[in-house]
Amino acid sequence: MAQHQRSSQWRIWHRWLSLIFGVQMVIWTISGAYMVFFQLDFIHGDHLVQDISAPVPAGTNAAPLTEVLQQYPHSQTIALETRWLDQQLTAVYKLDGHQGQALINAETLVPITLQESHIRELANRYYALEEPTIESVVYLTDNPPTELNPALLPIWQVNYDDFGNTSLYLSETTGEMLVKRHTFWRGFDIVWMTHIMDYSERVDIETWWLKAFIIGTFILMITGAVLLVYTISFKKKKPGGEQ
Amino acid sequence: MMRFMQWLHRWVSLILVVQVLLWLSSGLFFAFTGHHGMSGHQYLEHQHPAMLTDTETTVGIETVYANYPQAKSIELASVMGVGQYIVTLADKTLYLDATSGQVWRTDATLAQEIALASYSGPGSFESIAAVTGSDEVVGWDAKGFRVDMADDLNTRIYVDAASGQVVEHRNTPWTIADWAFKLHFMDYSGERSFNHLLIWSAGLLALWFSLSGLILLGRNIAQGDFNPRRKPTLLEHLQNTQQPVASSCGGGGTCGLCKVTLHGDQLPQPTAAEKAMLSPAEIKAGLRLSCQHRVNDSVKVELPNNDVATVELTLAAKRQLTPSIVELTFSSERAIDYAAGQFLQFRIPHQEQVLTRHYSVATRPNPQQLVFTVRQMPSPSEGVPPGIGSSYLCQLAIADTIEAIGPFGDFLLTDANARTQLFIGGGAGIAPLRALLQTEQTAESPRDCVFFYGARHRSELCYRDEFEQHTGINYTPVLSEASAEEQWQGETGFVHQVVEKWLQSQNAANLDIYVCGPPPMLKATMAMLAAAKVPRDQIRFDDFGI
Repeated sequence: MAQHQRSSQWRIWHRWLSLIFGVQMVIWTISGAYMVFFQLDFIHGDHLVQDISAPVPAGTNAAPLTEVLQQYPHSQTIALETRWLDQQLTAVYKLDGHQGQALINAETLVPITLQESHIRELANRYYALEEPTIESVVYLTDNPPTELNPALLPIWQVNYDDFGNTSLYLSETTGEMLVKRHTFWRGFDIVWMTHIMDYSERVDIETWWLKAFIIGTFILMITGAVLLVYTISFKKKKPGGEQ
Repeated sequence: MMRFMQWLHRWVSLILVVQVLLWLSSGLFFAFTGHHGMSGHQYLEHQHPAMLTDTETTVGIETVYANYPQAKSIELASVMGVGQYIVTLADKTLYLDATSGQVWRTDATLAQEIALASYSGPGSFESIAAVTGSDEVVGWDAKGFRVDMADDLNTRIYVDAASGQVVEHRNTPWTIADWAFKLHFMDYSGERSFNHLLIWSAGLLALWFSLSGLILLGRNIAQGDFNPRRKPTLLEHLQNTQQPVASSCGGGGTCGLCKVTLHGDQLPQPTAAEKAMLSPAEIKAGLRLSCQHRVNDSVKVELPNNDVATVELTLAAKRQLTPSIVELTFSSERAIDYAAGQFLQFRIPHQEQVLTRHYSVATRPNPQQLVFTVRQMPSPSEGVPPGIGSSYLCQLAIADTIEAIGPFGDFLLTDANARTQLFIGGGAGIAPLRALLQTEQTAESPRDCVFFYGARHRSELCYRDEFEQHTGINYTPVLSEASAEEQWQGETGFVHQVVEKWLQSQNAANLDIYVCGPPPMLKATMAMLAAAKVPRDQIRFDDFGI
């Protein structure tokens, strides 16, 4: 008899613990299912963009390295590559160094300043879906949206009017597409936030309340397992309660 | 609907319990370790590339372009102070030495230098080995080097030979974290993928599991289970007041053991659980599961076994009745209100568990003193242990105590009538029959009593003297295996055969029959009575609770 009363106690504990920790368990399974069921490549938006690199135009009279280094002595890397500028594939040098990044014409070494029209053109070339329709282009200098790492500011945000509300982020200096976001990435970000329970920065997985909820769920699970032993029956009960 | 939810919640949890445990443990590990602790980058030095002006470069970028006019990109960077061109072609990437224009080469000495430059830890170089890819670096299968450092984390640094780049830092915390990721993502391929069939299935089950739990939780809230001022369920009330009510599921409405009868003008509607566990006739008669309803002043609750109680019995006397039957007399401090023919459930401690065994009381009701006859079950053959319950009871010493629950049973005397009371017994089945006979004999005007008792040998006829001396009882002992030495002059054969003969001279409609004995004897007797056309409702029997 005493043993039978114990199962009632376990049930009471199971109910109260589930009220606190079970709800987070539901959130964990929903967010986990979301992350598991959408392919990571899709979440990353790999299907939204394409590679726009192209061979350096034939006959390019690339300025010699020594000249470039003379003008930009603080460079750590120098890359000869191409940019589509005003409908034309242009050879450029991309410089990276202590002065930051710079884009210069590979023949004349004249610095290139990217205008909104350049950004629109580059973004549309990156965009891999049919009929690119730009909704807005925003030059972001401060207050970045949560989907963007603030270290990347200032940056161009190109928003598309499409199924996934795609946003492409292009570097203001090099015109490279650095970040791509769409509805399902944003959804992933939210479920990730609820999964790790860091509601502000969405990166901290070491909060004390996350640990507390995991331990609480452990206890909830133990009470459930005990109830399972008491209640699960391999005998099929006949309807009407006849044994 | 709710029963389906309960079923779903229970069975899915049984399947999932191990994986949920793994998810929780690995999740806890992640929470305690943090991103940095799992990265393998504890001793990764953040490097600033050298200035190109300080880098050995003899071949110009324009020369490389002239050699590779199809290049999409040609990048110059410094590797340990030496210029390196990375030439990206449509189908491959080349690494060139900017001092020679030839293909870049990384030998062991350079690889060691590169590795050490990327290392900020306290350890020193231990060894270097040429490798082709590594299990520890997913997606890297090129030629390179593994540089082992002698440090507290067992750091190893992988360097790619073609590019002279550090591919990864790995260490013991990373290996542990990798296992945690394998468990968390259910991906044992090492790719840390969480988009595959196994985890889809587990994720779907987990989703069903937690959502069914949520729905059940919603039901509990709606039922007021979390309201501290709510009334307790009848089951909780009965349990709190130490009343004997059984329940194995603890109030979930799934075991059907906490049946009670409700009396009142307005009985509560049966719940889905009750419709499943009780028959329509039971529900109509007011039976309900006590876990399904709350205490309500307008409803009276009747327990199925009103007088059932747990009692502690103390052994007062012990007597060998026959070679195999022992008579045990117990005293009880608490009065036990039982009727003749009823039994108690003994709680026999056995190894880790408690077994229950049923024994009928062998005397007419005496609230303070209870007599039982216990048949010692010897080992039937070598290797088979003797009866656990009987062995335990027979080894009890005077003043030893044992716990018992009862009384139970409906093997009772019929209500007053003028019929002859026929008792048929065998072996240890003597106990309830003796209680019934004693009770009948002490009634105001006892009815005629006839008692047939079967045993194998004369020595097994327990209480023979008592019955033979009793003038009110027509006692006939029957022996089935009497030998010549016993010089038995009475009836022989099986007891039911002797009764059959006797019945021929009787009016079957004028008999109340009580049968108790071992299963073969009981079965044969019941068959004989049916053949003799004795009305079934005039026969009562006790099958030892089997």
